[in-house]
Amino acid sequence: MTSEHHARRTGWRSLRPWRGGQPRSRGRRRLGRAFRLVAALALAGGVYTVFAPGVSSAQPLSQDAQDGQALYAVNCASCHGPNAQGVTNRGPSLIGVGSAAVEFQVTTGRMPATRQEAQIEEKPPQLSDEQARKIGQYIQELGGGPQLPEGNDLAATGEDAIAQGGELFRINCASCHGNAGRGGALSSGKFAPSISGISQRQIYAAMLTGPQNMPVFGDNQLTPDQKREIIAYLENLKHDKDPGGWNIGRVGPVSEGLAIFLVGMVALVFTALWIAGKS
Amino acid sequence: MKRRTPELRALPAESLGALDDRLHSASPLRKILNKVFPDHWSFLLGELALWAFIILLLTGTFLTFFFDPSMEEVRYNGSYTPLRGVSMSRAYETSLNISFDVRGGLVIRQMHHWAALLFMAAIIVHMLRVFFTGAFRKPRELNWIVGLLLFWVGFLEGFCGYSLPDDGLSGTGLRIASAIMLSIPVVGSWLTTAIFGGEFPGTEIIPRLYIVHVLLVPALLVALISVHLALMVLQKHTQWPGPGRTNDNVVGERAYPRYATKMAGFFMIVFAVVAIMGGLFQINPIWLFGPYKAAAVSSASQPDWYVLFLEGSTRLFPNWEIRVADHTVPAIFWPAVVLPGILTVLPMLYPFLEARFTKDRASHHLLQRPRDVPTRTGLGAMAVSFYVVLTLSGGNDVIADKFHISLNATTWAGRIGLIVVPPLAYYVAHRICLGLQQHDREVLAHGIETGVIRRLPDGRFIEVHQPLGPVDEHGHGQLEYTGWAVPKKMNRVGALGPAIKGFFFPIEKPPQAPVSPAPQLPAESERREVEARR
Amino acid sequence: MSTGTRPPGPVLREQVDRPEVDIDDPRLTRFDLVKEGARRDGVDIVQYEPRFPAPGTRAERRAERSIALLFLLAFLSAAAFFAIYIWWPWRYDPGSNLSKLYTPLLGLTLGLSLAPIGFGIIAYAKKLLPMEVAVEHRHVGGSPPADRKLTGALLASIADETAIQRRPLIKGALATSLLGIGVVATVPLIGGLIKNPHKMAGQPEGLGDVLMHTGFDPAYNNGKPVRLVHEDGTPIRPSDVSVGGQITVFPGIPDGATNKFADSPTLLIHLRTSDAETLRRNLAHVPINEGVMWGDYVAYSKICTHAGCPASLYEQQTNRLLCPCHQSQFQITDNARPIFGPATRRLPALPLDVDAEGFFIAKSDFKVPVGPGFWERP
Repeated sequence: MTSEHHARRTGWRSLRPWRGGQPRSRGRRRLGRAFRLVAALALAGGVYTVFAPGVSSAQPLSQDAQDGQALYAVNCASCHGPNAQGVTNRGPSLIGVGSAAVEFQVTTGRMPATRQEAQIEEKPPQLSDEQARKIGQYIQELGGGPQLPEGNDLAATGEDAIAQGGELFRINCASCHGNAGRGGALSSGKFAPSISGISQRQIYAAMLTGPQNMPVFGDNQLTPDQKREIIAYLENLKHDKDPGGWNIGRVGPVSEGLAIFLVGMVALVFTALWIAGKS
Repeated sequence: MKRRTPELRALPAESLGALDDRLHSASPLRKILNKVFPDHWSFLLGELALWAFIILLLTGTFLTFFFDPSMEEVRYNGSYTPLRGVSMSRAYETSLNISFDVRGGLVIRQMHHWAALLFMAAIIVHMLRVFFTGAFRKPRELNWIVGLLLFWVGFLEGFCGYSLPDDGLSGTGLRIASAIMLSIPVVGSWLTTAIFGGEFPGTEIIPRLYIVHVLLVPALLVALISVHLALMVLQKHTQWPGPGRTNDNVVGERAYPRYATKMAGFFMIVFAVVAIMGGLFQINPIWLFGPYKAAAVSSASQPDWYVLFLEGSTRLFPNWEIRVADHTVPAIFWPAVVLPGILTVLPMLYPFLEARFTKDRASHHLLQRPRDVPTRTGLGAMAVSFYVVLTLSGGNDVIADKFHISLNATTWAGRIGLIVVPPLAYYVAHRICLGLQQHDREVLAHGIETGVIRRLPDGRFIEVHQPLGPVDEHGHGQLEYTGWAVPKKMNRVGALGPAIKGFFFPIEKPPQAPVSPAPQLPAESERREVEARR
Repeated sequence: MSTGTRPPGPVLREQVDRPEVDIDDPRLTRFDLVKEGARRDGVDIVQYEPRFPAPGTRAERRAERSIALLFLLAFLSAAAFFAIYIWWPWRYDPGSNLSKLYTPLLGLTLGLSLAPIGFGIIAYAKKLLPMEVAVEHRHVGGSPPADRKLTGALLASIADETAIQRRPLIKGALATSLLGIGVVATVPLIGGLIKNPHKMAGQPEGLGDVLMHTGFDPAYNNGKPVRLVHEDGTPIRPSDVSVGGQITVFPGIPDGATNKFADSPTLLIHLRTSDAETLRRNLAHVPINEGVMWGDYVAYSKICTHAGCPASLYEQQTNRLLCPCHQSQFQITDNARPIFGPATRRLPALPLDVDAEGFFIAKSDFKVPVGPGFWERP
């Protein structure tokens, strides 16, 4: 796992000969990454053995998880069952979805859902971020699963990161969310939402857990660093003003075609009316 | 001024004289300056296209100084940091350089693109004007055909330009174009490899499209525009019917002094609108699209608006692939090759078909109001609605996303709409034309509604009508309809048509002005129009 | 402005049949000459009157002032354009919003330096130049019969004199030579462009038929099965794709991830167990797809069978794949059958396996040509 992870990173770098002159820092970073990975694996493994289903019932829940359990019972249990095992035709099992999924669904307001739909849409969140974190902790301790890293700033820094994030974004994400991240239509009324207005944690969580119809981009598929690079690109996209004037929605030639008729042709036809008018 | 020496004052005359000694140009020059242009705003639409074309030539020339149509693989190291280190073609790199490393390059690039959209939009609107007013009739069928060719050549020019930057969107467009070429029976694969210099995308297509875009097609456009204008000068303008206007004259202003001056002003304003749009509205932000990669695509990948109708037809066409004895005719062949073929030939034949069905072999120089030819107007409405449904379907994913409609539903709406809407449009347009005709006749017979209600001695209420002319013993007007606007309001009486007209509202004439600028013409020409208004 | 350009009377009414004037008559004003010139060109100037018959009225001065003001405004905008062009920070700077205003300001000032000129010129023409109605006479129909007859005779004689009808020998020889010229003119052009799509040069042995093969053909890899790799060239283990995840994979050959192999991008999908079960049952319905799966993994060509766009909008719950170009939809769990839109054929499946080192390989190339259809497609 580790060696292959390195292989991919080096493979990436090897394509970039023009910036290959920093062996010391790269080596150090590699070392640090390997260390972090081992530590994370140890932690995850430890957490899993401690809280794995079947074992968990014997383990006491942490304080946060107990608070989360209370919130869960009020807000979630009616659809997902009292022990998150799921209810047929109402809500899926939450065992193993991880705190990342809970945090994404609750902080974007998708959960608690008002009703069953083809696609549950974003709405103002009903629970605070803190409450979401607690429910997530409960689900995590109940069944394990992917977790988000700490902190609100999950964007990689540096110009290289933005450029690499852009490459990853265009091949993995743009097909549904569009080049500018403004979303797009999917089959039969479903759609990929705009990702220009959501937080870095939510973007990270979405990649990690693949909510609803979005494919999962687990850490083995897009490494945490790559996820941070994508977030860095999206942050840049969000904050970098358009250099060419108003972007007319960044939806491409359709809005441009509309603009040439509504602005250009209208202005010039009125001019023609004035030119040919007698007064 | 006063101090000018006589020699200096005589200089222009002398040099003109010297020129005429050599060119014998006094008479043709005077003839050109004395050409009369009719005055109506709808005659300026074609000119709008011409000005857009000139702006395209100017801005396009600027862009060629910095663009390199090469598909050589390079690593970007320019100013736009979010793409630094990305491998891309030289064409895309230089397009980015125009946007970020050439001072003022972005505004010129955007002006070029907006001017292209404007060029095609003006062509379409001009074509609709020509169609709905019957200006294509004999003797102008040939110019109608030249105009249609101009649309298709402009379409080709636009598509080549859209493909040149080699960004994600243009590469996707080329991919579809290659699939369309591949779909042609028998020769498809040979044609595709010939054009692409091998398998898609190869390394030849951008350099080839470049020379097509900057030399071959512009030369063709210039040639066709020259023919278009030469025929217009030769055959003279059409004009609306009205006071003093007959089939054998043109009423308007001479080129000099007023008309040419106004045209120069119009060019400036068109240029200004393109400049303002090029500055304030971002168009084709290629830096967001990234370089073309065969594996990458964005949702809402669309062509420019004038290609959108073919995109729409391709989206709507059912999946009818034909297999004949180990050979394939792909479904895309029908909406993307056959349909454009039909759309090219059918309009070219229309003037002849109409003349055949109406048995009208005469030369026409007076325009028709759309209401007076309900069948043609209906057919036009049919064609327009067909085009609009296809164009909307070309953007149906954006519509579905923005208005929260099911994508599949928008496709079905387009499929059904394409069959249902055009006949409906025909019916509605036809009915509206007849209704308007009837109302014109009614006003001519009974006069204008004044809004004054009078009570008769027997207690009835009637509205007072103001007759437009002398009435017979029944109080009915004796005026005939002459193919021009009938006044429908009291304050339009005497200010008919374009004679005196404000920009938004009709304005009252100053009392000392002549009653009507209608010229007094010899009695032998058709005078009925004028008399009808008196 | 000399007095000569100002027309003498308020309204002039003319008739086209007026006798020709003696242009050497010293009493004629310059405008009389203008009219006479126009008349000889078939144009009657029936009305030509100054906007302001009494010069120097307040209204005229006001019009002059406002037009002059417009031209002045144009100059100021042009100066602003110049200043912005030179001094405004224009280099792309991700942090600065100032540089993002460069293009809008240029466009705006350019527009504002052009528009007032345009409005000024038109206002000048409309407000200050004399009102005019001119009537040009037009000839309806063709040329006079005499002209037609004479020209017709000439054309007929040309056709007759040069006609080779009477000289069949020359006719045949000429036709042959023209044919030769035509061939000489077209052959180099066409011949230079033509490339046989079924025997493309520069391809490895047996791969000349480029429309039939992709980079996953073992022949590109010296006969060994080709690995599936990321865009950066690293191979892929089964554990690299999460359940419900998909990645775009490329053939692990030199330049395999570039546009040189534009037909090769493939979507590797890790299905959820239940969906994988469904697909495994359905594989039997399409004989060539048997054995293409490896575990719960399946790989379908990313190139849409309709127009060649990457069909890559994967919905992991419904297992549909949507193409963003023309909205064809493919049901992954039913052998990538097209269920909506203009696509007719299934996406071809890439037969998957895992090599001794644990990396994904393609057992063989796609069994059918990928991408859009064409005439020779078997």
